[in-house]
Amino acid sequence: MNSIKVAMIASTALCSMALSSVCTQASAKDWKTVVIGTEGAYAPWNMTKADGSLDGFEVELVHDLCGRMKVECKLVTQDWDTAIPALVQGKYDVLMDAVSITPERQKQIAFSEPYAQTPATFAAVKDSPMAKLPGTGETIKMTDPDEKNDMVEKLKEAVKGKSIGIQTATVYTKFVEDNFKDVADIREYKTAAEHDLDLASGRIDLAFDDATYFLSAFKDKGNENLTLTGPEIAGTIWGPGEGFGFRKSDTDLTQMFNKAIEAAKADGTIEKLSKKWFGINVVPQ
Amino acid sequence: MLRRAGSAGTRLIEIIQLLGFGKGGWGATLLVAALVTLLVTLTALAIGAVLGAIVAAAKLSPARPAVMLGNLYTTVFRGVPELLVIYLVYFGGSGGVTALGHLFGYEGFIGMPTFVAGALAVGVISGAYQAEVYRGAFLAVSTGEIEAARAIGMGRWLRFRRIIMPQVLRYAVPGIGNVWQLSLKDSALVSVTGLIELMRASEIAAGSTRNYFVFYVAGGALYLALTLMSNQVFNRAETRVNRSFKPSVGRG
Repeated sequence: MNSIKVAMIASTALCSMALSSVCTQASAKDWKTVVIGTEGAYAPWNMTKADGSLDGFEVELVHDLCGRMKVECKLVTQDWDTAIPALVQGKYDVLMDAVSITPERQKQIAFSEPYAQTPATFAAVKDSPMAKLPGTGETIKMTDPDEKNDMVEKLKEAVKGKSIGIQTATVYTKFVEDNFKDVADIREYKTAAEHDLDLASGRIDLAFDDATYFLSAFKDKGNENLTLTGPEIAGTIWGPGEGFGFRKSDTDLTQMFNKAIEAAKADGTIEKLSKKWFGINVVPQ
Repeated sequence: MLRRAGSAGTRLIEIIQLLGFGKGGWGATLLVAALVTLLVTLTALAIGAVLGAIVAAAKLSPARPAVMLGNLYTTVFRGVPELLVIYLVYFGGSGGVTALGHLFGYEGFIGMPTFVAGALAVGVISGAYQAEVYRGAFLAVSTGEIEAARAIGMGRWLRFRRIIMPQVLRYAVPGIGNVWQLSLKDSALVSVTGLIELMRASEIAAGSTRNYFVFYVAGGALYLALTLMSNQVFNRAETRVNRSFKPSVGRG
């Protein structure tokens, strides 16, 4: 028996000893099976159903993308705390967990093009005068918090003398402070749930946050009287968006995903899934 | 008021459904996860018992290097955060196994099974605490009894089996009960590796249904149930090992 054969038997034995599903035969050149790691606990992006199966916006999206790339995709779950190290070490090949593309993360891993970019907007009590701000139901695209925009000017007029609640230290804080500080009373909150509470009880007139966050928070108890108001502000103003994470060495796989995302964007698949899971369009503008 | 009472009622039904065993109910998932927690802790306790006995023996031995190694072990694994040990075993272990695989010409990643990594990590920590328990229990055995055994001509092994071992076990039971509870709670940290034990299952259910409060309270209640049940077991064990020493040892 030659040594290669022995080695192969040994490694197969090692592999079968590793009882879990993480034992994959990933090779750098020929991607037939791709293992995708996700949290499975971040609804509506990715979640686990009571029967144990995975569901959500990203889960449906990735099945669509894998069909386009003609690869077999296997989904495994991982806690968010160890999600990036587990990708780097090779437990899976793609990280999919609503990961925002940031320069700090780009030092460790590579990202695909963004497949989602959640817009931000105002929320108000349904029957209050603030519920019909200018631009309600429209989407505007911005690239910079200080950019001059007609709609923002109209909003400034409309919120004069009102109070706006925002979360401290988010990408939205700067935008609200730069644009509305002079005309309105800005109140900062530690968590988004706190500004919802004050908004629902009438202590503030408006709140500003991620639109997908608001839409899911409106389903919670006590928030039934809240609604979105004003335009959905989208674009790279809030950063590049959410992308798939890859090991830096897997440039071929990153390219494959980029092509598939481009196609799913072009034929409306992402928009369709986005409306289904979020109730709004999160396709990167 | 009536409307309030009504909506509280529907909420209650909703919670019962969420925690139930029907369609859309997480009851079975949580119970299986509680069983996984129990198995991780039991395995960890067994690993810890072996390690703890070896380390205790080292610390009690007359050889200085053995004492130093034993002290090093208990100092490190009682002093370093549990989470760090889990990361070390899980990522370090997977790295090691993968490297070994590459040595045999296997390309790609070989994962350390999360159950093994978790039980090993918690077991290593548990071993450090158990070592101290065994050492304390050994020192509690009266030297007079050992001397008497020696005087009537008992050999080393017979002495260990008839005089030392039964008493060490007796003195160690309350301490092991403590270590068991520590390990049970340490096992929650294994959730970071992706093993679906009670903590991770509660997290998944909470995040997937957005009913955080319901599922964390349910998870907490199951941990409490596990500790209450194990308390019963340890109380019984204590009574049993003390049954012939009632006047002299323990609460009597």
